[in-house]
Amino acid sequence: MIPAHETYRTKRIYDTKRLPGRTEIRLSDRVVELGDQEFAWYQKVVEWLPSVRGVAELSQDLGLGESKVPRFLEALEKTGLLYRIDPGAHTLTGLEFHAKFSSVLESWLSEAFSHPFWERMMTGKGSARLFTGWLIELYHYTKNANRHMPLSCAYGREKAIKQLRAKHYAEEWNHYHYFMKSLKALDFKEADIAASVPLPMTLALSNFMRQAAREDILAYSICSAVLEGTTTNRGAYSPYYEKSAELYGVPRAAIAPIYAHLDLDVQYQHSDLFKEILETVPTLSPERAARTLDYGHQLVEHIWLWTDNIEKYYEADTSPVPRLPFDALLD
Amino acid sequence: MATTSSMDLPFLKRSAKVSRENGSVVIRHLLDEVTLDGPGAQLFAKIEPRLDGTATIDSIAERSSEKAGRVRALLEPLSRVGVISFLSAKDDGGLMSGVDFHALHRERALYWLDPVYRHPFWERVVSGKATRAQVLGFAFEKYHYIEAAFEHMGIAAANASPEMMPHLARHFIEEYNHGDIYRRGLRSLFPDDVVLRSQPLPSTRALVNFLAESAQRSSFAYYAGNEVLQMTENTQDPTAGGAVDAFYASMRRHYPYTDKVIDSFVAHTKADQALSHDDAFLQMCKSVPPLSRREVNEALNVAKNMAEHLLLFMDGIDTFYENFPTVPRLPCDLSSE
Repeated sequence: MIPAHETYRTKRIYDTKRLPGRTEIRLSDRVVELGDQEFAWYQKVVEWLPSVRGVAELSQDLGLGESKVPRFLEALEKTGLLYRIDPGAHTLTGLEFHAKFSSVLESWLSEAFSHPFWERMMTGKGSARLFTGWLIELYHYTKNANRHMPLSCAYGREKAIKQLRAKHYAEEWNHYHYFMKSLKALDFKEADIAASVPLPMTLALSNFMRQAAREDILAYSICSAVLEGTTTNRGAYSPYYEKSAELYGVPRAAIAPIYAHLDLDVQYQHSDLFKEILETVPTLSPERAARTLDYGHQLVEHIWLWTDNIEKYYEADTSPVPRLPFDALLD
Repeated sequence: MATTSSMDLPFLKRSAKVSRENGSVVIRHLLDEVTLDGPGAQLFAKIEPRLDGTATIDSIAERSSEKAGRVRALLEPLSRVGVISFLSAKDDGGLMSGVDFHALHRERALYWLDPVYRHPFWERVVSGKATRAQVLGFAFEKYHYIEAAFEHMGIAAANASPEMMPHLARHFIEEYNHGDIYRRGLRSLFPDDVVLRSQPLPSTRALVNFLAESAQRSSFAYYAGNEVLQMTENTQDPTAGGAVDAFYASMRRHYPYTDKVIDSFVAHTKADQALSHDDAFLQMCKSVPPLSRREVNEALNVAKNMAEHLLLFMDGIDTFYENFPTVPRLPCDLSSE
């Protein structure tokens, strides 16, 4: 018999809701409900699966006879909380992979934007300072596209994909001007913003994109697709800006350039680019598909920590805004 | 002793924080504090708006209806403690020796590292309030960061300037296998395959990528950043060493399952100490040609950024594992999502 460690893995959980007597666990395609006892057992299985501990120890932790452990694991598999490792995973076409990506994108975006910052901003517990901080970092992020978009073309091998990536770059390279316009409407001087430096996590986003660009053009493209997925239509982004204008007195002149930028993205149909790219890919090995998917999810985690970094820095009144580079003579 | 010429332009450093308390002027700069009382405080208040690097002492004195000698007598001691710079009307492009840079780097790095040492995560572990995910996450992230010597030290050696090449080659060769020390500790809890496949947090990846990117651009600036990390690892200073020992003792007490992992932490510290890396950066600084203002700023910006990335590394462990308590973090496959 193959040991359970080598048979099962845990599905990614996107949300867990503790309710009286039960817990709701949200997966990408379903919500699983467990009673308190089952949930406690499930947590022990999650800890045990990647460990060096044996079935006897799990059985002791669960208070179940060793012979009953496999049945409990099978029950968890049936709920969708565990899945069997598939040693014979087959190759996928580019479009099959795109379907897989599309099926999880919504869950990924909900994870990326699950940081409490958003709830705080939307309920009036944020501040104009936090809004400004987010905008400054968006400026840097957008400007830093010049550090990774051309790199993806340089390291790409497939002509058709390089062509699409280059077109995307040509359409996006100078979009940081939109954020500069917004910041000027908030009374910042262009020279101060241009000379400023991003937060470490903003820089990390573009460094991660550079890493992806060097590794595999599909790994890079899925990261780009996750980011474009946040701007598919006005309905997705306008509530945040509308609320911020209302709650924190952000002038309309500071928001108009952001809408103009997002509308342009919609007009270019950048959210469809990943599909166009994958249409040119006849097959992906299971390893390449997994690696590509993994880059996409890592980007999701980057967005969460990026938000955290922005909140922590800009909520402190003592943090300089904008952040100027260190100068040994002036500092 | 600081000497100024009639053309020098006094500049109150941007990092100096000025406040007024009961008629005194308090200037905080890095970890120091200067207090001016009575006439000194009054004179400073009068000339402060003009300390912007655009006017000479004579001109400031004239516009403030003061004697130049009095203004100079106030500003020169402030310059010696680092609160005031004298910009030159002609050229600020003077060269700095590597040894002087080393001293400046050390002073600044200690200040920039202060928030890392004060991070609430340390207290959470010592008081036993850290979660299993945070504690094991800390061990995994340390492993990933040390294992990444292959990446940034390899890139640094491969892109080294002629003066830095012997140092960076030696550094890589001495350290590339240190990740295995941590890996041995983690193998007491997780299969080797799981440890090898596990994935760092984005914040740890950020630290590694920042080092790797810096290593491609400038050998010296890269090492100025890496030295900030070394300053947190070498514990030959008895006070710092004692604090680290106390931290590990608390970990063993509150989280007994980490015993073997902590053995690996201690083994790594000893391995680092045995290499006597304490003065490696000083040796590098002695070997480089004098540095331009631009080179000094480039290297110090990398060092400052490194300290900020270390703070991010701590935040990542503390906050991310609190919110997403899955550990070890394994990469996606086609069924995991």
